[in-house]
Formats: sequence, C-alpha cells, structure tokens
Amino acid sequence: MSTTSTADTRSPNVREVVVTGVGLALPGVATYGDLLGPLPGVGGFDPATGLSGRELRHKDRASRLALRAVESALLDAGLTDADATFTGAADATAVVVSTNLGNADSVCEAVDTIARAGVRGLSPLGLPQTSSNVIAGWVAIRYGLRGPNLTVCNGVTSGLDALAWARNLIVAGRAEAAVVVGVEPANDVATKLLGEQSTDAAVAVVLEPADAAASRGARPRATIAGYARARDLAAALAAAGVTQWESLGLWLGDETGAGAGRLLAATRRIDLEARLGPLSGALGVLQCAAAAAHLESGAAGNVLATAGGPRYDAAATVLLTTSPFTQEPGEHP
Amino acid sequence: MTWDITGMAAVANIGASPREIFAALCAGQESRTPLRAFDPDKYRAAYAYEIDDRPEGGGDIPRRATRWLITVVRQAVADAGLGEDLSQVPVLVGTTMREQRSVELWWRDGADVALEELHFGTALKAAFGASTTYTFANACSATLYALGLATDMIEAGMADTVVVAGTDAATESGFGTLDRVQNDVPDALRPFDATHKGMLMGEGAVAVVVQRAGTGGGRVHARVRGVSMNCDAHHATAPDPDGITRAVLDAYRRAGVRAQDIDLVMLHGSGTPRNDATEASVLRRIFDGAGTGPRMTAVKAMTGHTLGGSGLLSLVMAVLAMKEGTVPPVLGLADPIPEAAGLGLVQGSPAAGALAIAQIDAFGFGGINAVAIVEAAR
Repeated sequence: MSTTSTADTRSPNVREVVVTGVGLALPGVATYGDLLGPLPGVGGFDPATGLSGRELRHKDRASRLALRAVESALLDAGLTDADATFTGAADATAVVVSTNLGNADSVCEAVDTIARAGVRGLSPLGLPQTSSNVIAGWVAIRYGLRGPNLTVCNGVTSGLDALAWARNLIVAGRAEAAVVVGVEPANDVATKLLGEQSTDAAVAVVLEPADAAASRGARPRATIAGYARARDLAAALAAAGVTQWESLGLWLGDETGAGAGRLLAATRRIDLEARLGPLSGALGVLQCAAAAAHLESGAAGNVLATAGGPRYDAAATVLLTTSPFTQEPGEHP
Repeated sequence: MTWDITGMAAVANIGASPREIFAALCAGQESRTPLRAFDPDKYRAAYAYEIDDRPEGGGDIPRRATRWLITVVRQAVADAGLGEDLSQVPVLVGTTMREQRSVELWWRDGADVALEELHFGTALKAAFGASTTYTFANACSATLYALGLATDMIEAGMADTVVVAGTDAATESGFGTLDRVQNDVPDALRPFDATHKGMLMGEGAVAVVVQRAGTGGGRVHARVRGVSMNCDAHHATAPDPDGITRAVLDAYRRAGVRAQDIDLVMLHGSGTPRNDATEASVLRRIFDGAGTGPRMTAVKAMTGHTLGGSGLLSLVMAVLAMKEGTVPPVLGLADPIPEAAGLGLVQGSPAAGALAIAQIDAFGFGGINAVAIVEAAR
C-alpha cells in the first residue's frame, strides 16, 4: 500500500490527538475567537511593546514573535506555572515550527554587511539565525523542551503540514505533547519576496493525546482528525478521508478550492489571508486556532482547513472535529 | 522492526556517487580548495570544500542545491529499481539552508528567484510529479531526523516506500558568520586532532530509498534498525553532553542493541573544539567497558561540513564500509585530542574488519541531535 496521504487517522486504533492550548501574537487580533467574526482591527499584539524584554534580547524577530505566542499557548493549556516555567513532560514534549520567511531578513542583512564591511562587520550574536531552525531552538531552550524539534519550511501548506507532523510524532510515541508554532515576521525582505506588504504573525497551539489531556483535566478544543498533502485539493480531501457526506460547519481556505466539490459550496468560508494579509508559514496553524474557536463555540459541523492549490506545488487539508471529551458550551470544569 | 535501504546516491566535493566518495575517503588525499564561492577578500577563512560546478570566470548561480537534490533523488530511485514517477511516494528533504543561497543572490545581485523555490517541493513536483514532499530545515541533523520520520511513516502504514534526501549549498551568511565567530581561523577541517580549529563548510546532496522490509523485492543495501531524535534545550549553537547521550542511548533502545554490538561509529566530527571534545567524551563513557570498542571515522575531514545532508552522507558511507569491510581514515588525524584517548579512531590508512552494525551521529544548531543505527544486509 502506498498513498499520497501521510495520515488518515480516522480509524479507531490510532491515538486521537487534540488541541489543548492556543496562543497568538497577532496585531489586530486579541483572541482566537476574534478570527471568526469581524476583526476589531485594533488591539491584539503590539510588536512595538510586545517584542522587547530581557529574554528576547539579541534574538531575531521571528523567534521573538514565536516566543510570545508560545508563552500564551502554554498558559492557555495550563502547562506553565505562575513563574512561566513549563510544568509538563519536558523530556517528551516536541516543538514543531512552520515558517518560510523566518530568517530571510537575517540572511540578507548578513550579506549586506559582508559586502560593506567584510565578516568583521558581522555580529557574532547573529550566528543562530543563519540557520532556519533558529526559532524552534529558542522555543525549546526557553521552556526546556527536549523532545523532537522540527522546523517545517514547506511553502504555503507548511502550517497544516506542521500540525500533521506534530500529530505523527505523538502517534509514533516520540512525544507526549507538541507545541506547534506558525510564524512569519514583517520586514522588507519578506515584503519583497511575497510581492505584498508582509505582516507580523505568530500563533502557537499545544497538541496532546486525547486521553492524556482528559486525565490531566485539560480542555480539548479540537481533534486533528485527518490530513493529506496531494497534487490538488480534491486528491487531498480524498486522501484525508473527507467525503461529500462530511458535516462541515466551516471551511478555512481561499476560493481556489471552490471547485473541489459540492460539500464546500454549502459551507461558511473564511479566508484568513484575505482578512489579515499574507500569512505564509503561519497560515495553517492560524487556521487550526480558528477551527478551535468554531468548535468551542458550539457551532454545528466540523472544520476543514485548506491551503495551496493550482498555483503551488501541492494542496493540503486538515479536518478538525469536536473531541469526544469536549464539554458542552457553558459547562466549565 | 527494520527498514530496508534499497537505493542510494550522493554528490560531494570529492565524488559524484557514493562509490567515488568512498574511494576518495579511503585514498585520503587533501581535498580542501581555496574559497571560490565568495569574494575571498571579505573573509578570514581562505578554504572550503565546494562542489566545483559554478560558471567559468567566477560568480555564483542560484538553485545549485536544488539541482543536486534532483540529481541524487533520480539516481537513488534508479538504484532502487523504481521509476521516476514519485506521485505516490513521499519525499522528505533535510536541509540546513534550504535555497537561502539563492535568496542571497536574489537580494544582493537581483538573481531571478521566486518564493516558491525556497523549499524543494516545487522542483520535486516538476521533476517527478511528487506532491507528498516535505522540506525540513533541521540544521545539521536534518537528514537523520528525516530518516527517522520516514521510518515512522512506514511503521504507521502511511507508505511502503519513502525517499529521504538532503542538500545544501554554502551561503555567505552562514559561512561568513561562522568565520566571524571562530577565534582561530581554520585552514582545514581536522576533526578530533589536537590542531583542530573549527568547521569549514562543504557542499553536497544525498538521497536514499527507504522501504518497508521486503517491499522492494530486489537488492537491499542495508537495514535501518532505529533512529532517535531529540533536543538539548540548552544552547543555541553549542552541543550538550546530556542531550547527545540521551540521543545515543535512545537510538540503541529503538534498535535493540547495546554499546558492545556497535562495530563502527560515523562521528559527527565537525572539527570545532567544542563538538569534538563533547562528542568524544560522550562516546568514551558510552563505550567504557564495551570491550575493544568500535572503529570510528569522520568524513567531514574530506567533505567539509555538508550541513543538512551530512548525517545521511555519513550513513551511506557506513553502508559502503560494511559492504567492503573497510573503514576510511580521518584525514589529517595525527594527534588525537585527550578526550578521544582510547576511541578507535582510524588514522593514516583504511582499517579492515568485519562490520555488522554502525552508529551514525548528527548534531545541529539549536541543540538538535539524531542518531541512526544501521545493520549490514547479508
């Protein structure tokens, strides 16, 4: 058996993986619930004040944004104490980061400096960010997370891919929990590469096995129920096990997937990039946050997140469903 | 559970196939060359281990890392007896720099480079129709991480065949910042030798085809017994003995082997005083009491540090070493550092011996470690 699907976990013998925490560092969006309604446009994360502080000193912009999002996701998941120290299973907690432009500014700045002043003009403190995995390294160091540490730089589907790989690490028994981060910084290099104004965006979600989350009393927001990356959206949906009978309440994606089937025609659709600007590697993880908001609200139907399509090397989809352990809205632990 | 390696390919400064690279390692001729990739006036370091395929008359061109990747993937699938249609085969690419060299040329010189070329899925789609493709920027442990993730996919029933590959071209930002931070400027990469001063970059790409045991029906080069992956969570660029020790022991646990079962260690051996002392000290403790201990070698002495692909290149060289019963020497190793006393580092000329099980180390920035255990196919 060989398949383009990297996972179809809608079979009962696979350990179910749920979202137990969400954190944003996103200008104009205060909470992930805001992603579903009209955006306030003001409030939310302020990079001018939010990216300073002793522990952020000498770090690249993407790493600083990511650390702020992770801080609030771990707090939301109940995995940090009053001193912001990680209280989970540090040896078995993975970090999975999705980014495409994370260190592009550092790379281009170094090239400019070398051209101007040779290597003696460079700061030795810039060494970590010459490597694209710098963000995941800093997140692990900040919270002492010694599980697998993975940086997915996979184009427009990166965020959804990162969610799937984090789930794979848990299902394979390599990790008992995973912090998944989607992050892109705003800067001139990113703007020029994207061909449109870049935006600061960081989002983090915490994934855990459903049974482990339940036993520690964590509140599951959503289940990662299916995933695939394939040549087009129709193939991805089929490989992820999403059929036309799927009960969908929300589709997070752009209109290029509209031809993918009748199931999408009747569904409410939110295109996060149309509202927030280009999200690149942050997109899929932010879609997961929006899905969690939808499922938590008690609104009907599952959530389909899609990215990529005809203009890209592939399309990817993640199906998010209500966890069987989810409490009814209004019923708090 | 084991996984079959049924196809292999590689390119580096010293050869365009695994056999050529292995022969060059055994011959042990100095392989560093004067820095050509970048304007040497801007750097302190004067040498590197480049692949010499840039245009005549100097200057650099974009997408070299992508070109090597496509070449080695094509050769590896051919070696495995598979066709070039990879529409149903996942391809996992480990890399440190992705196509950042192309971004540098785009930013400074106006080279024509698109955002979608930063990751390798775009080229893999064009060349092989591959869609289940992943670019993992996992520094210098990237390809062994990717190998471990490939074994997970097969074990979970997501695929029977996975291509694992790595590629990296030297970047100015990486080469330059490394040059800036190394106190003594190395004129060669000399792992575990008392004269070691640091790391110098190499360039290269490598690919293997990994299959569910028995799937291929043809020749099996070697079997993967287990791959560990973890993070020190300690320092952004310096290695940590505790993290490395955990990675080695977890690899043994996954593979079902003990220290005394290991016949060959392909060392990370990046030639930085910090890495060499840390890796040697950890291995001394691991192999303490394990009899005479395994032979050890470090290919970066001749290939330079090929970054993301270096772990998998070491693995491919281990497979050939086991086939040949020959371990290449560590070029330039005459006076091992005190921490390496008692380790079976091969010096001077190749060492002969029967080899059944090899350990491959790969450690990267961010404190990320991966260790693979591979068994000879008999």
